[in-house]
Amino acid sequence: MLFNSLEFLLFLPTVFILYWFVFNKNIKHQNILIIISSYIFYGWWDWRFLFLIILSTLVDFIIGQQIFKHRDSPKKSKYWLSFSVLFNLALLGFFKYYNFFIDSYIDLLASIGYDVKSPWILSVLLPVGISFYTFQTMSYSFDVYYKKISPTKDLISFATFVAFFPQLVAGPIERASNLLSQITTERKFNYGRAVSGVKLILWGFFKKLVIADSIAPIVDDIFNNYTEHTASTLILGVCLFSFQVYGDFSGYSDIAIGTAKLFGIELMSNFKFPNFSRNVAEYWQRWHVSLSTWFRHYLYIPMGGSKVSKLKSVRNICVIFLVSGFWHGANWTFIFWGGLHALFYIPVFLMGRNRIYADNVIGQNTLLPSLKELLMVFWTFVLVTFSRIFFRSPSLTDSFNYIDRIYSNFSYSAYTHPMGYRMTDFYILLALFTLYEYLIRKDERNPFKFKSKGVRFFVYSAMILGMLLFYDDNVNRSFIYFQF
Amino acid sequence: MKKFIGTTALYILLILLMLELAVRAFHLYTVDPPRFIDDHGVEKRVPHHNGYAVTGNRKQNFSEFNINKSGFNSHREFNPSATKYEIAIVGDSYIEGFHQDFQNSIGKKIEEKIAGIEVYQYGYAGYDFANQMHLVYAYQDTFNLIDEIILYLNYENDLERDSYTPNTERIQMLSSTIFKIRDQIKLLSYGSKIGVLEPFKKLATGKNPFKTDITAYQSNEIQEETEAEKLERDKRYIANFQNLIKLYGFDKSKTTLLLDARKTSNIFLEFCDQNQIKYIDFSESFKKSKKPTNLIYDMHWNDHGRELIAEIIANYIRQKKPH
Repeated sequence: MLFNSLEFLLFLPTVFILYWFVFNKNIKHQNILIIISSYIFYGWWDWRFLFLIILSTLVDFIIGQQIFKHRDSPKKSKYWLSFSVLFNLALLGFFKYYNFFIDSYIDLLASIGYDVKSPWILSVLLPVGISFYTFQTMSYSFDVYYKKISPTKDLISFATFVAFFPQLVAGPIERASNLLSQITTERKFNYGRAVSGVKLILWGFFKKLVIADSIAPIVDDIFNNYTEHTASTLILGVCLFSFQVYGDFSGYSDIAIGTAKLFGIELMSNFKFPNFSRNVAEYWQRWHVSLSTWFRHYLYIPMGGSKVSKLKSVRNICVIFLVSGFWHGANWTFIFWGGLHALFYIPVFLMGRNRIYADNVIGQNTLLPSLKELLMVFWTFVLVTFSRIFFRSPSLTDSFNYIDRIYSNFSYSAYTHPMGYRMTDFYILLALFTLYEYLIRKDERNPFKFKSKGVRFFVYSAMILGMLLFYDDNVNRSFIYFQF
Repeated sequence: MKKFIGTTALYILLILLMLELAVRAFHLYTVDPPRFIDDHGVEKRVPHHNGYAVTGNRKQNFSEFNINKSGFNSHREFNPSATKYEIAIVGDSYIEGFHQDFQNSIGKKIEEKIAGIEVYQYGYAGYDFANQMHLVYAYQDTFNLIDEIILYLNYENDLERDSYTPNTERIQMLSSTIFKIRDQIKLLSYGSKIGVLEPFKKLATGKNPFKTDITAYQSNEIQEETEAEKLERDKRYIANFQNLIKLYGFDKSKTTLLLDARKTSNIFLEFCDQNQIKYIDFSESFKKSKKPTNLIYDMHWNDHGRELIAEIIANYIRQKKPH
């Protein structure tokens, strides 16, 4: 079920009313309602894959108990942790990466002269959100192993933690220490939190429907026909893709966080205005925060993080980014994308500038940013956007051809929208969007932080009017990150 | 909780009001002048309506229309007489011309090119060839006074019927309370036009509202017809054409088809040649044009396309009109 669908429009109020009016007396009943709702939400796409979630839930629930049971025996608890990791990676490996490995193996043999016809390629459907929920369940095993939490003995609470529908298919990837503890605690309706949730939902829809969906046909047209476009159009295409993927994914996250708030649950922030990052390190503190946090806690720090020699730290950074790239998809383009980010990150790290912007934003104490900040933001945007050519292209060859065409055919031509819309509308839209994001840059949880009720009302209305103005019935309204 | 639900409901109501005001203020909605079926069984617009037709979600196209006494969008009234020289152009939305200010219509352009003639555009969105033939037949008295009749034939979909029956269902539907409400609430009218209300429409018509049909952008593959299917279709279309002529008559001396040969079957063109049915083919002129001839957002003719059509018709009339 998509957030931006009629079914969700009916689903959400129904679950909300049942949750607070019918099952509000008993936390267990509320959790059962969430589980059932979440399974309906997920099964709406393809009910057959529900068994994967249920299997993953059961396995990690049991493993959590076992790790805790053998907490005094490091060897045994490690054994159980390895089992959890292997199990989840096996799920991912089969459904997401199996064909990639087979293809790569065949390509490798072909490169040394062996022509292999593959009987092993399988027609496997990628279950929506598998990378998200497997990582979430793994985080539970890790947290129990590292004694950050005690395992829950309540299977219903654990199943709720795994399947909580607002963040089930595209995150934020929650750690058990944050989400599970809220699920096991009684929840009371809080007016302020619910209002804040509705505001985030509105903001998320605006980013998805107005920014991402309206740009999508342009990006598709340019990337699908890149051999026919001039350099100016190709640059436009990848810049717009930067906005599209941001609007799409951060929009989803905001809707997820807002929806969770309606049920009395606080999810972690996933996006903190990454387009205003002053270097690539800051970008990764602001982009897909839940995934970065996951890798930092469960991979980077266990490998020694930055508390080892510079050389090993650089190795750790490379590993993190390559794995992160691979997490996104079974394609060399994502691995290359991750590798590029490692290359961008390492100089910042070696100069010791990777944490300097962790606690402040551009224009922290001023209304306008300094020229230096603007240049830094611009340069970071250029690097990140350049890397997105690999993220968006179907293959490495296409990525390099796309770049080659920018250099070899460096010329300008006005771009015409494939469906005939005025391009000026989109340029104005993105300029206003960027300006608005700058205004609210200090608090990603409160996108309508205006004192005047009148101004807030005007902004709400303008956002919804924007949705109507840029609504396009012919656009595929799915979310980009569902494929991951 | 009550406060939350109450406040949310109040905000939704206020925002809807605000949106209604915005849609009206910026005239985002289109006006669809009411339709009816007259005593002759001809489907047309209710006379004396004017307003603006809007295409697309951000006024991609915005033009003024004027429905005259006869019920058609035109810059003039239709008063043929034996002393004047009149041309009637009959056709669908391309001739109705809601995509261009009525003062800049094809008819007006032709009149500017040839002094002393009057051009009557009997255009109506949704007309096929059966509608057109029936119209000429139903208004015989008027058309007897008109010197030239040009029927616009969009061959690809205008010859599906072999006789005319008025579309009473559509008129009834458009006159129903639900459509009247839609027309009064401009936000609904706009939402309906851009497709936001599609799931609700499906729900109202008993279709599955949850099934999304991504129709255009990425999946607009056209199914190619086989040669046998094409031949079959041509045969059917020609038979329908013949039957329409049999039913409603066809004055070959003053009736001419306006068509695009690129989209018209050669078999049909040969049929016309063999039967002395005259046609004006505008394909060459459109092909040679260095400027686009259609609106980008919408496939109807743009101002340049209309200018070309007017020029072609004017040239044709110049040859036929007695000096």
